Amino acid sequence: MNFKGKVAIVGIGEVPTGKFPERPCLQNALEACKQAIEDAGINKDEIDVVMPTGTFFDRRYNTNMVFSQLVEELGLLGKARDNFQVFSGGSSSSTMLKSACGLITTGLANTILCVQSDKVGSAPVQEMIDLFATFGISEEWETPHGFFMAATGSLVATRYMYETSTTPEQIASVVVSMRKWAALNPNAMLRREITIDEILASKMVATPFHTKEGNVLADGGAAFIVTSTEKARELPGIPVYPLGFGSRVFHYSMSQDSDITRLGFPEAAKEAYEMAGVGPSDIDFVELYDGYPVYPLISLEGLGFCKQGEAGAFVNAGNTWPGGRLPMTTNGGMLGQGHTAAGGGVALLVEAVRQLTGKAEARQVPNAKIAVESSHGGTFMDTHICILGREVP
Amino acid sequence: MTEDRKSLPIPTPWSRPFWEACKRHELLIQQCGDCGAKIFYPKLFCPECLSSNLGWIQASGKGKVYTFTTVYGYQPGEFTQDVPYVVAVIRLEEGVQMMANIVGCRPEELKCDMDVQVIFEDVTEDISLPRFKPVVKKPKT
Repeated sequence: MNFKGKVAIVGIGEVPTGKFPERPCLQNALEACKQAIEDAGINKDEIDVVMPTGTFFDRRYNTNMVFSQLVEELGLLGKARDNFQVFSGGSSSSTMLKSACGLITTGLANTILCVQSDKVGSAPVQEMIDLFATFGISEEWETPHGFFMAATGSLVATRYMYETSTTPEQIASVVVSMRKWAALNPNAMLRREITIDEILASKMVATPFHTKEGNVLADGGAAFIVTSTEKARELPGIPVYPLGFGSRVFHYSMSQDSDITRLGFPEAAKEAYEMAGVGPSDIDFVELYDGYPVYPLISLEGLGFCKQGEAGAFVNAGNTWPGGRLPMTTNGGMLGQGHTAAGGGVALLVEAVRQLTGKAEARQVPNAKIAVESSHGGTFMDTHICILGREVP
Repeated sequence: MTEDRKSLPIPTPWSRPFWEACKRHELLIQQCGDCGAKIFYPKLFCPECLSSNLGWIQASGKGKVYTFTTVYGYQPGEFTQDVPYVVAVIRLEEGVQMMANIVGCRPEELKCDMDVQVIFEDVTEDISLPRFKPVVKKPKT
């Protein structure tokens, strides 16, 4: 693969995730961009492509992103070659990074600023429930039956528990793991640890999931800068290399997915490992997309860390906690850090880079050299796996 | 007939025969006249071979529950009065999958892979929605 060793992530930025009604969304984007530029130690005028991914809370704001507002704000008018959107919902981390790799290796771009921002946490709750009820839910074939985004994980979990005999306690232990990491993350929204009993005693939303097994919508923003390895070597920081990608798209409407307990993971994982030239035993930590607590279990199995049906016991035994054998989703995920619409994957990618460059402070994974990041868009319409490393094997 | 103020399906030119059949309490799916693929939900052309030579066949209305959830909260506002309700994905005998509500059964009796049978609810004059109910197995004598 001709991007391997030729492209590097050189800077990251992120604003705290949460409900900040007084913080304009533009501020989320701009502060994340400024942090990423400073983190990279790069002259901002060297950014020749600005790539703002999609925003959900407001159509006009999203149009502003498409129409180069960030180029103007960052003083790149007349210098930037392109401003355009790469957007696949929650998997935009991978699709932006892949696009950046392609543009840089072909010489169509030198340095790309990828940024995500949204403000779905401050809007009235019922308004956001009704808005999200329309996302990825087929108007003609699903909406009339009362289906909605917050029930999507439930359909997966019901079948997964049926096929694997995974228990409600084991599923809830994923939330326990997420909250333990979130407690160590100053950018996280839900920083209080939680017990399995508390989770299972919370109000039922859509069986088998309770309120405390749901993600919480939040405002946030994150950015990362991608450039050539040549350029990265001139910069002061530690570059992080994308080593392999694997992905599959398997539905638009969840009711058409014929294998919802695997979600394309086995195929995508094989692709990514082969491209990177590594296997599960080489991975030091994983940044797995959550949304709902069943998904990291399917991910651990699909990526080869557990046999099918054994991930629940693996997580419940503490293997993914801080200090565990396989640190998982060390920012706390959307169950701990918060769900910023398309930002779930971007936050994980930024966290993977943070860990690999030794900047994760209280939650730093020792000797973090190779990571797997996963992300999904829509109603888990796709699976994207990205393997990242400090070195090119 | 129960008057319903919820979001209703807006048929497309290619799905209209399906909804017309629902009004007659018949469940139709498409079949490709060229490659034979059975298709649901209705498509403009065959997703397997892109042929526009699509016809309609009567489905048996029998299937199995692939997966389901019973909704107690965070439902869209227009479904508030229906809580709790069951949303399921049904695998029809013909091999296609469709979403529908399961009725006529206590939520705790539901299981994946249980046998279900279609029924229709006339929600307005123009729209009848397919729903599914469990097949009651007669005890062997």
